[in-house]
Amino acid sequence: MRFVDEFRDPELAQMLATQIAALCEPGRHYKIMEVCGGHTHTIYRYGVQDHLPESIELVHGPGCPVCVIPMGRVDDGIALAEQDGVILTCFGDMMRVPGGNGSFIEANARGCDIRMVYSPLDALRIARENPDRRVVFYAIGFETTAPSTALTVMRAKADGITNFSVFCNHVTIIPAIKAILDSPDLRLDAFLGPGHVSTVIGCRPYDFIAREHGKPLVCAGFEPLDLLQSTYMIMKQLKAGRAEVENQYGRVVPWDGNPVALKVLADVFTLRPYFEWRGLGSIPQSALALSERYSEYDAELTFQVPGVRVADPKACQCGEVLKGVLRPWECKVFGTACTPETPIGTCMVSSEGACAAYYNYGQYAKQRIHLEV
Amino acid sequence: MTGDFPACEARDGCITCGDVAVELTVVELIGDDALCIDEGGRTELVAVELVAAVTPGDRVLVHAGVALERLRPIVVEG
Repeated sequence: MRFVDEFRDPELAQMLATQIAALCEPGRHYKIMEVCGGHTHTIYRYGVQDHLPESIELVHGPGCPVCVIPMGRVDDGIALAEQDGVILTCFGDMMRVPGGNGSFIEANARGCDIRMVYSPLDALRIARENPDRRVVFYAIGFETTAPSTALTVMRAKADGITNFSVFCNHVTIIPAIKAILDSPDLRLDAFLGPGHVSTVIGCRPYDFIAREHGKPLVCAGFEPLDLLQSTYMIMKQLKAGRAEVENQYGRVVPWDGNPVALKVLADVFTLRPYFEWRGLGSIPQSALALSERYSEYDAELTFQVPGVRVADPKACQCGEVLKGVLRPWECKVFGTACTPETPIGTCMVSSEGACAAYYNYGQYAKQRIHLEV
Repeated sequence: MTGDFPACEARDGCITCGDVAVELTVVELIGDDALCIDEGGRTELVAVELVAAVTPGDRVLVHAGVALERLRPIVVEG
């Protein structure tokens, strides 16, 4: 038995779809944002939208960490890699992200040594194996990924490894959701909460969304039935006029998160006063830097980093896509000048990016007959 | 890391970059880490400091080589 099969059962999906449709009020249009890029990927891959009535629109949020990296930070990474003796390490999706000065792959073609790793712990291993080189880990990701970077820095310090540092681009999800809620050009009814971020931070940090903004949020798993059941839970709340935080992904997400991981994050990182997000602009206290205690591992302090802000290409509308104002195919360059092979914008790079997910799987949706629900 | 665990799969989603984690089963403890296996038989060494003590057979949620949560056992009813 594969445990995932139970979460992809077509009959159960049809049953949930019928129940969701029954909760829709005639003439009302519902906009539900899935915050997490992993959810976007599942929605397109399995055609989840096709199981929903036309009055429910899933809006794709900013939760793809690669997609929110501004071009200037890509250039900073390349500037680090160009320095003597540096091995820059990063996750796979970062390799093709275009900066103002090309991508990491193009930098490698010019002679840089940028290596893809699966874990920051692999970057630390490379540092151990290359004592005559300076190894920098290009850290990206939300609270799901930040604990692995924190743990790696703690191990480096405990083992006295001095040729390892971190170029930290970790961001936090709550300020991004706040920025979206404050955005004047978007009206949302509810949120599908990020499943694995919530494993770390728990469900309580979302309380303000229900309490102050009157919108339901349901922490959702990543299988198609998870998303349909979470949508059903949201629709039940909307029908009853409730706004609460609920946890559909209880098999993985503890209500209070992981207290050990939260303590490690608080120890290793400190909040930046502000950080630029692609498409969302500068958001206060939305990103992490290494704390003073671990400052010797902060690449921004131990290397010269340009730190120049680079404007996005004019044709690129990633900002609007990230905020859910535009759908991927509504961007002027989608699928023509901008494709996964030659991305202009970051949303087309990562498989969690809305544009790449739609480019890879969206064409199948067009072949399906929309369910009469 | 051992075996041929995928670093990044463009179509299936990058398990490290996104908010995506995988469920693995602990095979044996090696020092501070745990050798874990996925349902396809691929193994990787996982840091387990952030979760309660694990023993072989436990299932953990893993992201970027680090266990984020020890999962409750699956109970099959009936």
